[in-house]
Amino acid sequence: MKFSYNWLRELVDGLDTPPRELARLITLKTAECEGVEETGGDSIVDVDNKSLTHRPDLWGHHGMAREVAAILGKRLLDPVKARDIAGPQAIGVQIEDYSLCPRYSALVFDNVTVRPSPAWMAQRLESVGLNAINNIVDVTNLVMAELAQPMHAFDAAKLKGGIVVRPAGLGERIDALNGEGYDLDPSNLVIADASGAVAIAGVIGGALSAISEGTTRMVLESANFNASSVRKTSSRLKLRTDASMRFEKAQDPVNTIRGLERALELLEQVSSGIRLVDGVADAYRPLPPPPPIVLPLDWLDRKLGRAIPASEVRSILESLNFQVTETDPRIFSVCVPSWRATKDISMKDDLVEEIGRMVGYDTIVPVAPLAPARVPHTNPTRDFHDRVREMAAAQGFTEVKNYSFVSEEMARAFSLDPAAHVEVANPIAADQNLLRRSLLPGIWKNIRDNSRNFDSFCLFEIGREIAPEGETPHFAAAIYFKDDGAVGLFELRRLAEWLLPGVRVRPPVSPKSYDHPRRAVEVRHGETVIGRLFEFHPRLMESGRAAALDLDLALMERLQPPMPSYEPLRRFPSSAFDLSVVAPPRALIGDVEADLSRHAGADLLSIAFLRDFTLDDGRRSLSYRLTVGASNRTLTSEEVNAIRARVIEGMQQAGFELRV
Amino acid sequence: MDLDQTISALHSAFVAQLDRASTLEAIEAVRVEALGRKGKLSEISKNFGKLPPEERKTAGARLNQVKQDLEARLEARKADLQSTALDAQLESEWLDLTAPAPGPRPGSLHPVTQVQREIEDLFVSLGFTVLDGPEVETEFYNFDALNIPADHPARDMQDTFWLKDGRLLRTHTSPVQVRGLEKLGPPLKMIAPGRVFRNEEVDPSHEHTFYQLEGMMVDRDVSVAHLIYFMKTLLSAVFHRDVTVRLRPGFFPFVEPGFELDIQCIICAGKGCPVCKQSGWVELLPCGLVNPAVLRYSGVDPEQWNGFAFGLGLTRLAMMRYGIDDIRLFSSGDLRFLRQF
Repeated sequence: MKFSYNWLRELVDGLDTPPRELARLITLKTAECEGVEETGGDSIVDVDNKSLTHRPDLWGHHGMAREVAAILGKRLLDPVKARDIAGPQAIGVQIEDYSLCPRYSALVFDNVTVRPSPAWMAQRLESVGLNAINNIVDVTNLVMAELAQPMHAFDAAKLKGGIVVRPAGLGERIDALNGEGYDLDPSNLVIADASGAVAIAGVIGGALSAISEGTTRMVLESANFNASSVRKTSSRLKLRTDASMRFEKAQDPVNTIRGLERALELLEQVSSGIRLVDGVADAYRPLPPPPPIVLPLDWLDRKLGRAIPASEVRSILESLNFQVTETDPRIFSVCVPSWRATKDISMKDDLVEEIGRMVGYDTIVPVAPLAPARVPHTNPTRDFHDRVREMAAAQGFTEVKNYSFVSEEMARAFSLDPAAHVEVANPIAADQNLLRRSLLPGIWKNIRDNSRNFDSFCLFEIGREIAPEGETPHFAAAIYFKDDGAVGLFELRRLAEWLLPGVRVRPPVSPKSYDHPRRAVEVRHGETVIGRLFEFHPRLMESGRAAALDLDLALMERLQPPMPSYEPLRRFPSSAFDLSVVAPPRALIGDVEADLSRHAGADLLSIAFLRDFTLDDGRRSLSYRLTVGASNRTLTSEEVNAIRARVIEGMQQAGFELRV
Repeated sequence: MDLDQTISALHSAFVAQLDRASTLEAIEAVRVEALGRKGKLSEISKNFGKLPPEERKTAGARLNQVKQDLEARLEARKADLQSTALDAQLESEWLDLTAPAPGPRPGSLHPVTQVQREIEDLFVSLGFTVLDGPEVETEFYNFDALNIPADHPARDMQDTFWLKDGRLLRTHTSPVQVRGLEKLGPPLKMIAPGRVFRNEEVDPSHEHTFYQLEGMMVDRDVSVAHLIYFMKTLLSAVFHRDVTVRLRPGFFPFVEPGFELDIQCIICAGKGCPVCKQSGWVELLPCGLVNPAVLRYSGVDPEQWNGFAFGLGLTRLAMMRYGIDDIRLFSSGDLRFLRQF
């Protein structure tokens, strides 16, 4: 919203603060000024619309002038002169639902001349970003920019009968002033005459009843519409206008008559000979004034954290046109002015802001709260994720953070059903419409992008997989090499073992399409599958090879080892022996190890893999060292030999040959 | 040649041999030839029996002296050779320690993670709890419970990604205020860092995915003075210096009163520069006293409890901290960028 400094000077008696200083004060006390622009003899203060969201009154110069007057301790001048507009109602007005249209006021004029506005009016409008059109439309816009009251002028000759404010009929259509046609439904409020809709209430007027050069008689509308209804209509029609922007902030119904009075005066200046026909039409349902707000001053002091004298509180509130009565010692009863009561101010907390901003927040001295020391609630999940993150970084992996969006094509490339994804209704791009159910598509893109700059790298992400039923934190890591990716796979397995002691890997029951078919395993802990370790299928790679690890952090957190309990150090020596098992070419070292351990039984202290040697016939000789011992004595050599014999026999029975 | 001369000649000959010996084996050979049981000196002593007692005594003493001398020379020569051999070995073990060390290089944490962890640690040390909330939120938690009803213009302030199932991607971390109070109840001091989403076109200063950190304290009688205290403490820790802050009115439906907190520009110390658009101040975080409506939505009685809340843009803070001029780099996964931190 643009404010003209010259205009404000007409409304604040003796305003002499330079424009930039004024903008600074408005920023500190009222709303954020984004800049001051000097234009031919005026300064335009640009205030951020977002900071006016809650202030319907500040969408006109008079409202801002009230703030300025309060800030500077000056007198506010009222541009509206009371006029006698009473008389027999010049046009019939019928409101079907007062909750949607709390008030509809209108004047009828004849002997209207439509012509360009005088230069001062056109300039004034253009200085605040409004286009000058003709004297009649310009008066409505000027009143809007001054009093925040949107108005609309109809060509009375083109209206049939009285005004009805009603919901649009299903499929009712209107051709609007902007040259567009709109199909309406009952959620849209319209102004209608006997033949149909002539305006979309609070948004835009219709083309057929618009003022034109030939207009001689007109109906001037100054109405109040429900904020939420205007906003819904404006969003649905994708049509934001100066009027709808104001109405959706909840304008003051009291303002409609003031708008008409001001317009009458201006019209007399710019359309000489114009005549008011009869009296004002003013349909409204009287509403009870909002109850006064009880403001205990001790409570106010505690909220702000500093004491403010009662007299100062009173003078601040009165400067903003609140009415203050001290009902009990240090208890104020505060009546809210109508232009602040529509939405903005309804409780004592709202008054804290009025006092705080006017005394200046810089007068409040920072104070540490006096509160009992408490141990904060812990967040073990976050702690776990942080540990994982640090371990990965310590092992050479660089953290990435990828988007949560994936394309259907990418989902399919990673064996995921697009239909099983949560879908964005209004995606940023057509191919970013699904929420990721796997971190791997993002990781794969990281590999592809970075392989253009690096010969090898390691990276990881901790992020959430999003499924319709919930979010699951995952850890995904990848290693890229120019040559064979075998080393990367083992590094990733070591990382997995480090992140969760006791993990094992097993070839998957069903390989995925993006796996290297001979280099993919499930990562397990006990019976729980916690993730996968695989090399990307070389066909997915432009160059080089890449291995990836994908782990479910929620499962891993549950499987964290318990706090260890101390075991006394062994007092009896252990014994070790080596065994070499001849196994088929694709036997798994881990499986053979598990078999050996099982046969060795309870006295096995540890088993270590030593060597993998390929024999001439293609079979492999796998060597292990088994260490055995008992906790309460030294095993005799006969006992050790018996264990060894048992292992050998067991392995032989399972079909393995042993090289002894 | 008398016996004495013979011994002296042998001594001289062995000393000369020993000087020539360049291996441990050669030294051993000298030892055997000279001092062995069948060595030359032993041979001489075998003939001592024929000598008269007086001469035998003198010759014996002379022989012992020579033996001792030779033994000492042998040991010294051996030690000398061993030392030379060790020197040679060490010399051959020359190592270029400027060669790259094997094993992984340290990786790095994302710059947003680093800033986030620092702020988390700070708040935990001040007795705050770190909470998490879902990225997929309901309209209730993201808007209604934060006093942003449907058709409220405040919804325009945040362009929302809506999901086809009616839910949405959270536009801010503020829903965790309500979730935190529901779960833990007052009194509560919490922060909630996390990923948030806005449906915005991406350019060097706008992203649809970024990171925020929400903070809230709910207790008896929490005041604006307390809020300013925590914000100053936070920002001094973040910027590693005492910062000057100012509060000015800001509208956020979930706080009342609501503020924008500015810090005095740390680039120009408030004198005015391009970073602060010549104003001397940089808008940093929205904050305020928790709106009673939010407390009621969270099941907390606003007559008994109140609090402050603030929201910190972690991504923006990381940009300020490291001087990053393109917000898109954070989600790029580009290691040329990420490895700098």
